[in-house]
Amino acid sequence: MDAAGIVRTFTTKFPDIDVKTINEHHIEFTVGKDIIRDVITLVDETFPEVIPESAFGVDLGDDKYQVNYMFWSHKDRMIIQLKVNLEGSNPSLPACCDIFSGLEWHERETHEMFGIMFTGHPDLRPLLLPDELVGKYPMRKSFQTDRSRQAETGLPVRKPRPEGGAKK
Amino acid sequence: MTPDILDETVEVWFGPQHVSAHGWATKLKLVGDFIVECDPHAGYFHRSAEKCLEYRNFRQGSPILERLCMLEAFLAEYPYISAVEQIAGLVVPERAKVLRTIMMEASRIHSYQFWWGQLSAEMGFFAMTLWPWVDREFFLDTFEELTGVRHSPHFSTPGGLRFDFTEKVLAKLEKAIQVLEYNMPKFEDMLMKSPLFRMRTEGVGQYSAKEALRWGLSGPNIKACGIPMDLRKDQPDPNLAYDMVDWEVPILEHPDHPGESDAYDRMVQRFNEVKTSVDIIKQLIPQIPDGPIIDPKARAKANRLPEGEAYGRVEGARGITSLWLKTLEKAQTPYRAKIRGPCFHSYYALKHLVPSARFADFIVIFGSLDPYPGWWDR
Repeated sequence: MDAAGIVRTFTTKFPDIDVKTINEHHIEFTVGKDIIRDVITLVDETFPEVIPESAFGVDLGDDKYQVNYMFWSHKDRMIIQLKVNLEGSNPSLPACCDIFSGLEWHERETHEMFGIMFTGHPDLRPLLLPDELVGKYPMRKSFQTDRSRQAETGLPVRKPRPEGGAKK
Repeated sequence: MTPDILDETVEVWFGPQHVSAHGWATKLKLVGDFIVECDPHAGYFHRSAEKCLEYRNFRQGSPILERLCMLEAFLAEYPYISAVEQIAGLVVPERAKVLRTIMMEASRIHSYQFWWGQLSAEMGFFAMTLWPWVDREFFLDTFEELTGVRHSPHFSTPGGLRFDFTEKVLAKLEKAIQVLEYNMPKFEDMLMKSPLFRMRTEGVGQYSAKEALRWGLSGPNIKACGIPMDLRKDQPDPNLAYDMVDWEVPILEHPDHPGESDAYDRMVQRFNEVKTSVDIIKQLIPQIPDGPIIDPKARAKANRLPEGEAYGRVEGARGITSLWLKTLEKAQTPYRAKIRGPCFHSYYALKHLVPSARFADFIVIFGSLDPYPGWWDR
């Protein structure tokens, strides 16, 4: 199936999803979180040899988040990217790891790094983070990477640099 | 009266102190000698590579990716460079394309040579460990002659290469391939025909193509099931030179279990991969064109990138390696970079693959997937 055929298949079933064809090997769909499970089921039914390539979060600032799902269909030579836009300080969307079990750890990682809740996920224990960073969501832009643990060291807090650089 | 060992489950931690478990740990539940539950734990190597990338400019990012897998460093750095080149609109000179492809294939061979040794060591077959590692030295010599270091070479940069081939590099690469081709039939005889090796690997860790697709496996792990999924063929990169070569994706169709693969099949598959890589390098060496190795404006163009999103991908030694990059307007650093390591999926697959196997087969199943902790911890 070529790119136009894939777009037709998806827009016929879900008329309100946004489509962007990036190149002949990559199509991007922007999907609402209420139909994400149905769209991923359609990905599963449409492509015979498809792998869940990746899933990840993006912090867009101002309590806006995005979850991206990447699928690679080897037979159609096509990357299917599904974008889900979320809002709020505790965003959530339904988990899809029961459709493609390879997404389980990606969703687990997105949960611990961004604080995005995947409802219905069987196992949301922290995957990569040490215990002291659990619940701090280090991949959010609001997380202070440098000097975030300075309070534990007992060292004096360094003054912020003056605006506009040093005085001339 | 002694209690029956089948009445109770025993919990065993495989790693992180185990000799074979270098940087990972798996919690196993055993009933007698059989594993009933497997819970792979990640995070022992986590160095927040994705967050680190957000603090480095576009020419400083690729060494972080090389450190995720030192064995396939030339391949590991490429997704980031590809994504930057796509957003910046950089055109890579012809000579750089060919040299990049040659070094990527050399890196792939080097990675498999290391892995033959690693799997054999894990199975207690130590002669086979050291012999391929001797041959591997010739490739490391090539890398050293080319870039000055044996590991993490930082060879590619957005828009081209940092180091050019000399006569000496080419001579060392040809020598490495000559040694490999001379010794490989011996290794195949010694390993693949050894009755002990066959007993340990045949029928162990067997999965079907359908399951492997669900788990997200790629690379040799899925090609051994007979699916020719290979990015070098499926999605030819305009900045690489695979279209200049006449080659076929090596796949394996086992007559007894078509569409499935066991540990032995995956070993055979990786031998075939090496033969393909040698073939590609041999075809490319006479075709190396003259000319510059880097676009003269590449440095300026990679300083600040326009707003954009790009997905850089490469067929790594362990499977599909990719990086999704998002930049904002006039960006000096990435806004978000997501690394997809192939072993993230193969390590996860242990959870489904290991139960009902024997405890002694666990390390064979693990080793046969060719996992590398850097790829799942990042």
